[in-house]
Amino acid sequence: MGDLLLKNISIRYGRHSVIDHFNLQVADGEMVSILGPSGAGKTTILKAVAGLIDTAKGEIWLNGRRLNGIPPEKRNTVMVFQKPLLFPFLNVTQNVGFGLKMHGLAAKEIRYKVEKILELTQLSGFGRRKVHELSGGQQQRVSLARALVLKPDLLLLDEPLSNLDANLRHQMRELICGIQEKTGITTLFVTHDQTEALVMSHRVTLLLDGQLRQVGTPQELYYKPVDRLVARFFGGVNFFDGRFRNGCFQTEFGDFTLPKMAGNGHPVTATIRPEDILLSTINEFELEGRVERTHFEGVTTRVWVSCRGRRLEVLAGRGEYYPGQAVRLRLPPDRIRVFPPDDNNHL
Amino acid sequence: MKIPTRYLFAGLVTVAIGLPFCQLLIWSFSDRWFYPGLLPQAWGLRAWQYIFGTAGDQIINAVFQSIAVGAATAVIALAIGFPAGRALGLYTFRGKDFISVLLTLPVIVPPLCVAMGLHLWFIRLGLTETFIGVVLVHLTFCLPYAVFVMWGVFSNYNPDFEDQARSLGATSTSVVLRVILPMTLPGIVVASLFSFLLSWSQYLATLIIGGGKITTLPVILFALMASGDRPVAAAVSIVFVVPAFLALLLSAKNLGRQSIAGVR
Repeated sequence: MGDLLLKNISIRYGRHSVIDHFNLQVADGEMVSILGPSGAGKTTILKAVAGLIDTAKGEIWLNGRRLNGIPPEKRNTVMVFQKPLLFPFLNVTQNVGFGLKMHGLAAKEIRYKVEKILELTQLSGFGRRKVHELSGGQQQRVSLARALVLKPDLLLLDEPLSNLDANLRHQMRELICGIQEKTGITTLFVTHDQTEALVMSHRVTLLLDGQLRQVGTPQELYYKPVDRLVARFFGGVNFFDGRFRNGCFQTEFGDFTLPKMAGNGHPVTATIRPEDILLSTINEFELEGRVERTHFEGVTTRVWVSCRGRRLEVLAGRGEYYPGQAVRLRLPPDRIRVFPPDDNNHL
Repeated sequence: MKIPTRYLFAGLVTVAIGLPFCQLLIWSFSDRWFYPGLLPQAWGLRAWQYIFGTAGDQIINAVFQSIAVGAATAVIALAIGFPAGRALGLYTFRGKDFISVLLTLPVIVPPLCVAMGLHLWFIRLGLTETFIGVVLVHLTFCLPYAVFVMWGVFSNYNPDFEDQARSLGATSTSVVLRVILPMTLPGIVVASLFSFLLSWSQYLATLIIGGGKITTLPVILFALMASGDRPVAAAVSIVFVVPAFLALLLSAKNLGRQSIAGVR
């Protein structure tokens, strides 16, 4: 069981406000990630939930119990840090059993639980190893096992994959998702890596400059950003202005029929993802453009196209593109995302 | 046969350290040793009989005094040096550089000046010729070393380990006993050993503040040296060195790079 509710949380370091009126609800068994750039205050939120720092304002509730003022050891939440932080004077078994020992369990029970969890985290046979004899990935797995063995109501993961190389990160990602699914443990996961957040979480919380910008499923954040900042964070680069008139969205790229929005006649901003723009070298689309430059990125080629006095970034599949080339473009209306008129986040 | 370099080096170091002790040993077992003889003309146990017989009580008393003063100094130096080192190593605050200069002052200023200067104050405070007075004057030399060692330990220490332990269910007391102490143990051993050995070898300060009432081993040793009885002085020197050497041996595994660096 692990129902988490963060109500209006504000956190300060001295006079400096790090988190401002942050709200979040995590349902039992859910895996929610807090995504944001470095210095956005992600870790600070986790530490506040774990009880390692105090909040200036707001309330933290877990399973209907108010956590404010309760010391970390009595919260039944466990935090896994960015670094494995394995105690160097203990071996793997002793490290994993540390929390159980702190909770006063009998040696026999500790041994049994540690063995089980080592098996789950694919660490069987490593029990007697000293921590410095383990690789980075193994150390992080021990750190995870040490947290999981306590069966906490809430698992707090603070970028546990960021110190691993790409291959290991992928394996650990699979392992964490697998264990989370198997154990159903409520997990709050902090990361600055959007792929990691999109792949691993049921829901993503985007935190920018200490403020919550959007909460939703990975698809919602990716395809339906609420504002330009969110769109930009997820790689949105094509922004253009337009107006809704007579049921049409009028822009410099033409008129599009879109679901009607409020603010008829007022200028609004829209975006379209680079991979959603259709690009062709034959005359099959209505918009004319000219290639400015290209970047070959393996699976795709990033093409910058000037079109009606603006520059659009397009992700094209296999194809020969070169600067100066005349091309045709199409902006599918169903892929255009228009921000509400009250979005004033001009970049 | 080729001797590996490291054995050769270890051998040379052992000889360099051991050779002066050989001379002391020979002196302590000599009855007559005059120039230009390379070895004593007569051997005997007079010096050792004096130490364990005639002056036995006095020397045993001095050994216990030295241990008591050294231990008390080490404990107090550590009790102050540990939190001070933690603050200096982990936090940035105004006046940190100034503190660093202040700490080196007792090390730079000659012990005689420090002891003479403090003597007047200690007389006024009634601390002269007392055990506490001697411990306090020893602290002026030992405390900076203890603080410096612990500062070094905490400069490389990651306090996140404490947060991790608390998150795993450790109480504040458990964090101190099961995380902070084991992590900083090598540094604690080094700081205590430094303080103990520095206190163990203090002569001038002990003599001035102790006023002959607190007779530690160096005070006796200097008196014997002054009397010109070299065999006895040599024997007392050996007695003087043995406990310090044992302390060093017992803590040997904690000495080295790791002890000053702490654990990341």
